Amino acid sequence: KKKKKKRKERKFPGSKRGGLTLTKYIVLLCFTKFLKAVGLFESYDLLKAVHIVQFIFILKLGTAFFMVLFQKPFSSGKTITKHQWIKIFKHAVAGCIISLLWFFGLTLCGPLRTLLLFEHSDIVVISLLSVLFTSSGGGPAKTRGAAFFIIAVICLLLFDNDDLMAKMAEHPEGHHDSALTHMLYTAIAFLGVADHKGGVLLLVLALCCKVGFHTASRKLSIDVGGAKRLQALSHLVSVLLLCPWVIVLSVTTESKVESWFSLIMPFATVIFFVMILDFYVDSICSVKMEVSKCARYGSFPIFISALLFGNFWTHPITDQLRAMNKAAHQESTEHVLSGGVVVSAIFFILSANILSSPSKRGQKGTLIGYSPEGTPLYNFMGDAFQHSSQSIPRFIKESLKQILEESDSRQIFYFLCLNLLFTFVELFYGVLTNSLGLISDGFHMLFDCSALVMGLFAALMSRWKATRIFSYGYGRIEILSGFINGLFLIVIAFFVFMESVARLIDPPELDTHMLTPVSVGGLIVNLIGICAFSHAHSHAHGASQGSCHSSDHSHSHHMHGHSDHGHGHSHGSAGGGMNANMRGVFLHVLADTLGSIGVIVSTILIEQFGWFIADPLCSLFIAVLIFLSVVPLIKDACQVLLLRLPPEYEKELHIALEKVLYTWWRAPVVPATWEAEVTGILKDAGVNNLTIQVEKEAYFQHMSGLSTGFHDVLAMTKQMESMKYCKDGTYIM
Amino acid sequence: MGTIHLFRKPQRSFFGKLLREFRLVAADRRSWKILLFGVINLICTGFLLMWCSSTNSIALTAYTYLTIFDLFSLMTCLISYWVTMRKPSPVYSFGFERLEVLAVFASTVLAQLGALFILKESAERFLEQPEIHTGRLLVGTFVALSFNLFTMLSIRNKPFAYVSEAASTSWLQEHVADLSRSLCGIIPGLSSVFLPRMNPFVLIDLAGAFALCITYMLIEINNYFAVDTASAIAIALMTFGTMYPMSVYSGKVLLQTTPPHVIGQLDKLIREAGSVHVRIRRDANEQMVLAHVTNRLYTLVSTLTVQIFKDDWIRPALLSGPVAANVLNFTDHHIIPMPLLKGADDLNPVTSTPAKPSSPPPEFSFNTPGKNVNPVILLNTQTRPYGFGLNHGHTPYSNMLNQGLGVPGIGATQGLRTGFTNIPSRYGTNNRIGQPRP
Repeated sequence: KKKKKKRKERKFPGSKRGGLTLTKYIVLLCFTKFLKAVGLFESYDLLKAVHIVQFIFILKLGTAFFMVLFQKPFSSGKTITKHQWIKIFKHAVAGCIISLLWFFGLTLCGPLRTLLLFEHSDIVVISLLSVLFTSSGGGPAKTRGAAFFIIAVICLLLFDNDDLMAKMAEHPEGHHDSALTHMLYTAIAFLGVADHKGGVLLLVLALCCKVGFHTASRKLSIDVGGAKRLQALSHLVSVLLLCPWVIVLSVTTESKVESWFSLIMPFATVIFFVMILDFYVDSICSVKMEVSKCARYGSFPIFISALLFGNFWTHPITDQLRAMNKAAHQESTEHVLSGGVVVSAIFFILSANILSSPSKRGQKGTLIGYSPEGTPLYNFMGDAFQHSSQSIPRFIKESLKQILEESDSRQIFYFLCLNLLFTFVELFYGVLTNSLGLISDGFHMLFDCSALVMGLFAALMSRWKATRIFSYGYGRIEILSGFINGLFLIVIAFFVFMESVARLIDPPELDTHMLTPVSVGGLIVNLIGICAFSHAHSHAHGASQGSCHSSDHSHSHHMHGHSDHGHGHSHGSAGGGMNANMRGVFLHVLADTLGSIGVIVSTILIEQFGWFIADPLCSLFIAVLIFLSVVPLIKDACQVLLLRLPPEYEKELHIALEKVLYTWWRAPVVPATWEAEVTGILKDAGVNNLTIQVEKEAYFQHMSGLSTGFHDVLAMTKQMESMKYCKDGTYIM
Repeated sequence: MGTIHLFRKPQRSFFGKLLREFRLVAADRRSWKILLFGVINLICTGFLLMWCSSTNSIALTAYTYLTIFDLFSLMTCLISYWVTMRKPSPVYSFGFERLEVLAVFASTVLAQLGALFILKESAERFLEQPEIHTGRLLVGTFVALSFNLFTMLSIRNKPFAYVSEAASTSWLQEHVADLSRSLCGIIPGLSSVFLPRMNPFVLIDLAGAFALCITYMLIEINNYFAVDTASAIAIALMTFGTMYPMSVYSGKVLLQTTPPHVIGQLDKLIREAGSVHVRIRRDANEQMVLAHVTNRLYTLVSTLTVQIFKDDWIRPALLSGPVAANVLNFTDHHIIPMPLLKGADDLNPVTSTPAKPSSPPPEFSFNTPGKNVNPVILLNTQTRPYGFGLNHGHTPYSNMLNQGLGVPGIGATQGLRTGFTNIPSRYGTNNRIGQPRP
């Protein structure tokens, strides 16, 4: 091994003196990766003839032989304790399982795709996972890399019409060589994907396992005394592990191999290229170079050579490389290059490049406050100091407790649970019976649930304490959420309207037999919701309860805003009916109910009379109804958000201001009690806290003396004066 | 004085009013252009929707929604013109500037809801991929793209320009900035175009058109119909990414939060003003104090009211109402009452004082930070015997408060606080009774 390396060093003398050593290792790495690609293509050919367990056994045997020879794990180094032997045993088992997955994936989706999916270095996968599952991914570049990786996998899954796919999909379940492969095949068949796609998923799983395995075995390798020694021992143990299985296999099944002798050469190349050379060069390069650089220079050649071989492997050019099947020159169509694979290879190269680049951490600080000079102060400590970690069950328990504390959020939560339950039953049943209508209705229900979720969040958040930024508290979130829900309903009404207009022009034939049970189920769920919500609603109003008639309620809470002209003090005790958030949720449920009723009515009409026009007419009617019911909600929410004077207080305030003016005119020289008097008058009108600013001549003189920007202040005062026409000298801010 | 028609009921019908306001806006030359663009937009959207149904492509539909969003932004622009013309009415005593914010919020939320709808549709399409006809796909893409870009670049849309500047960057912008930073390392001349960040609307238009071009290519080459759904999802996600920061920003304005860029300065200024409040004597000139405080704060807070309490040695009974001796020597000039509706609480000046430094003003509308600031109440506390004043003021007050809290359904009064929401942090039950005074 050492000799071989030296030969390479002589073979590729560095061109530049400065980067001599680095270039040398990079070239070595590239060459090794190229050879590894060759080895994998070779092993795919081998796996067609040899059983997978036998193949892995031979691979491990050869590797163990070489490594024991080179490393001499028994004669050198400290002795290994019994405890460590157990760990090595576990390591070997895990290694066997991973290589089993790897080579099974290879048989499923061919060497090219296997190389693309499996040959990622640990650093790439770790940074991918950290982007996906932690908040501190390391900037937009890493996110992009992760997105590229996912796109590449999706490309392989969706846009790669592998020619073998059809062939593999129809294979009978009987002919598998062993129980193990049979089990894996059935597992993939259970997932309902084609074999080659199953292979892709299997390889992604194996990749994650590999990374976890490497990370976990790092400590053990230090304990044992180096990764090489651990590797040698682990290979040896796994040979011993696999030995009985292979013996049983070779006794029970007849081999497809004619002569084992002709396979010695290909096995030797595979063992050498895939296992030994790769391992040694990787370990050398990771010592001599940075890990990120190593990963970057390693991934590029292997993907490129995989692409090249994918195109040319069965071509006569590569005859010299192939040790196997030299005679058989048939034009193979298995796992050839397709557009999807090329695209995904490009994406894999990009993502490996981005993800392996060293991340620039620590850019993000948290704002902690402002210095006396007014400059912001940031905290660049890690997030670990900021967040006390909270266990998930505890978090769920806490939030559930919060939700159940108040009636609004409790109602929304229960109804949400009911709705989700119904949705999932529907989806599950739809998948089971393979009915598209049910599944799409389930998606529609999920879409509706999003409004409920928003309502729930708003109901929760509105109880939060006021903070520095939200200095008025979070109360208005409910109004905002009601507003958004109103917009949501308008959008829904719009889409229903458009759809029904399109159907009016061209009424389609409907298949009605599945619609009725689903819509009746939806109707029941929604009726429960309406009853629950309107119960609380009518309770607050003291109106008659129990009636679930929809229009009655939508009407009544529409009216309530204007009907409550009582005295200001009494208003708080009246409860005010529903808040905007609850109104939005209620209207949403109402719209759903209307939809269900519409479906039932139109189904009946279609089935009884064959009026296909009834369906679009119904939906048209429903759309108009939804729109009309939402308008008051939107109007009220808008008024609140625009800081309109509450309509109930208009009159009282008007009278109170007149009184104030009267006191003003009655006594031009204001007595000391004037302020208290004004306060009293306004308090009667429901105004509890007021601020009075008195500006005299002196104030303007001081201002002009103090500031250069006095004109602004003057303009401000002018602006106040502009209201004079309606207020006659009294300004309401 | 006679009768003052402060709160006259509107007599006209809704459409009549709308027509009148429309005429008001249409009188302006600038709005003609917007109206023209709006008409073109409607025509364009109609054609695009037709093409969407003829190609059966959901990606094009998602892109068409961006055109519809353009229509909303034009409307917002009109509204902002209208807002500048309108004076505050008695009912909308704060003026109509928030209407602009509300319009921005509504249009961004509508765009996101459209994107949500696209997501739902494409989830259904993944189950059963229909065939896409590429006939009008590219034509539609380029018509929409050119129209969108033309609108964006030729109309100066003040509210959206402001929001897109002030809101935090969307993920799309971040990625483009990150990419172009490395690109500008190679070609430095490009930095003026791409850095620090691109206009989000131009960006999403370009990105959506790019996704559609890829869709067209792949369908033409190999009939990958699933690309259409994938790019629809991509466009929808980009729409979310672009609109979300803006709706958060405008939503925060609507929630009357303190704009983050004002906090530091405001803290500093209030602290300076606070130093005044410690030093003044009983016989200090309150007009001088008023001038100083106003001078400090008016740059940040456009509408500011300062009330000065001058306390005597004998503390007046604040709540029973009859006498507040020596409170204000009232002569002439302006009275600006800042009323607060009866929430659950009415605080006397003693308790409201500590609230001051921790509650900077909320943002009223875009670019007018803290239009309705909470009143800064100055107490010349030095002259007052502490313990006495506190006890005296405190005891009756807490009784009052308890009464207020005993009222059921407090949460529902939230909707009624319009126009009078002047004292922050006092909503609901978190009063600051127990806090020590400075």
